[in-house]
Amino acid sequence: MIGKLRVYRIWLLILPGFIFVCVLLFLPMAHIIIGSLKGEEGWTFSNYLRAFSKSAFQISYIRTLKLGTLITVLAIVIGYPTAYIVYRSKWKGVMMSLALIPLMTTAVVRTFAWFVVLGRNGLINQVLKSLGIIESSLKLLYTEGAIVVGLLQLFFPLMLFSLISSMENISTDIEEAARSLGATPLQAFFAITLPLSMDGMIIGSILVFAGSISAYTTPAILGGTRVLMLSTLLYQRAMTLMDWNGAMVIAVVMFLSTLIINWLLRRLRREMP
Amino acid sequence: MKKLNWSLLIIILVFLFLLGPLLILFFSSFGETLTFPPRNLTIAWYPKVIGMRFFREAFKTSLILGFGSTLAALFLGIPAAYALTRFSFIGKSVIENVFTSPLIVPALVIGFSLLRFFVQFGNFPILLGLFLGHTVLLFPYTVRVTSASLKNFDFQIEEAAISLGAPPLKSFFYMVLPNIRVGVLSAFILSFATSFNNVPVSLMLTGPGMVMLPIQMLTYMEYYYDPSIAALSVLIMIFIVLITQITERLLGLSKYL
Repeated sequence: MIGKLRVYRIWLLILPGFIFVCVLLFLPMAHIIIGSLKGEEGWTFSNYLRAFSKSAFQISYIRTLKLGTLITVLAIVIGYPTAYIVYRSKWKGVMMSLALIPLMTTAVVRTFAWFVVLGRNGLINQVLKSLGIIESSLKLLYTEGAIVVGLLQLFFPLMLFSLISSMENISTDIEEAARSLGATPLQAFFAITLPLSMDGMIIGSILVFAGSISAYTTPAILGGTRVLMLSTLLYQRAMTLMDWNGAMVIAVVMFLSTLIINWLLRRLRREMP
Repeated sequence: MKKLNWSLLIIILVFLFLLGPLLILFFSSFGETLTFPPRNLTIAWYPKVIGMRFFREAFKTSLILGFGSTLAALFLGIPAAYALTRFSFIGKSVIENVFTSPLIVPALVIGFSLLRFFVQFGNFPILLGLFLGHTVLLFPYTVRVTSASLKNFDFQIEEAAISLGAPPLKSFFYMVLPNIRVGVLSAFILSFATSFNNVPVSLMLTGPGMVMLPIQMLTYMEYYYDPSIAALSVLIMIFIVLITQITERLLGLSKYL
């Protein structure tokens, strides 16, 4: 009797949120997926075939994967030495909270800051000009490079934190043992720290990659209307060109990509100790 | 000695990359034009940007909507978090996955699907769509943060109240809620900041007279290139820091966390 009453009470507490997410997330997503699969005569893949055959879609799709990979690789390459130093520093707490700032700043503010750095009369162009390296301003904004820089600044902390947390699980004794047996710091790093922090690197990579391929604000501001990623293409298709079928296809592609990545992340997390 | 300098150099470069642009933005808000280093120092852009009506209107919209959807998300999230931490039941992990799912789907896709389903298909007013969209975005945060604080709560206290004859609802409000108020407040701040900063959902659900502050800034940036956005950015950063600091002072968040 009491058990039944309890179950009833549990569902009373949970159902409002559950129904809310179903109606606000699952129903609209289902609406889009069904809509993307419907043509004039019933079910069809023609929306997908039409979207995939367009060069605008192909270019943005390849660009999204390419930039996502590049940002992830850069995050690993820069992240490892940084994490290694931060983890061993006595200023670790301060540095980690400083690294959080880009994640906590308003997207528009953070991205606009790159305007002042990369713009036609921005800091980099001025410095290069005054050093006599270039004569006329370089075009730095509205390029793939600008998007990479902006997204790397945003998502680098995720890699840094994953790496640091996996380094925390490595006993410092192992490394000291290697050092006392004559290994150089670099040798000790490659023989011990790198292999033992591999899961942190993998989780960090997935987080950075997933964030990069689904971000909107940074590519919208730093890529402009020409250098499009999937997210900015979705916006353009929907809000500028009113091509709703094309936009729905892109939305479903983005949705499925993040689902796959998330599934991968879950599997990896379960396998790790 | 040589190794130490290498480490220092790497750290300086990395943090220059992470934080340099924000510092540059701060300094260039005091220039006559948007350059760094700023020339002809002035604070004129601050009163100017505060005086712009469309920014004030957008700030008001962001404030009201952020507040409203945060409250709604807490209203849905606190009971859910309570049930999830207090009881174990069949299907719990499924429910937890459902509750965090708004974090997984790209926000732009959420905004787009809401626009299609509610505004275009269901003929909902855009304001309602915007409000619901923000609420669904904030809901996972409220569940997560209040759950974390409920995990530290000793439910025996509540059991004691109930066994002494207090009705469940009353014992929740008198025993549980006061003890997790710091968690609820952190959830509030985090949610409000998330709503206030959000671009993708707000952008998809923008209508006449219904423009959120970040969207208004984006529109302005398309046409003008002057330090007013820099000044506004500094004001927003101060605003967000103030909210967190005031609540921290009032309630001593860090003491409990």
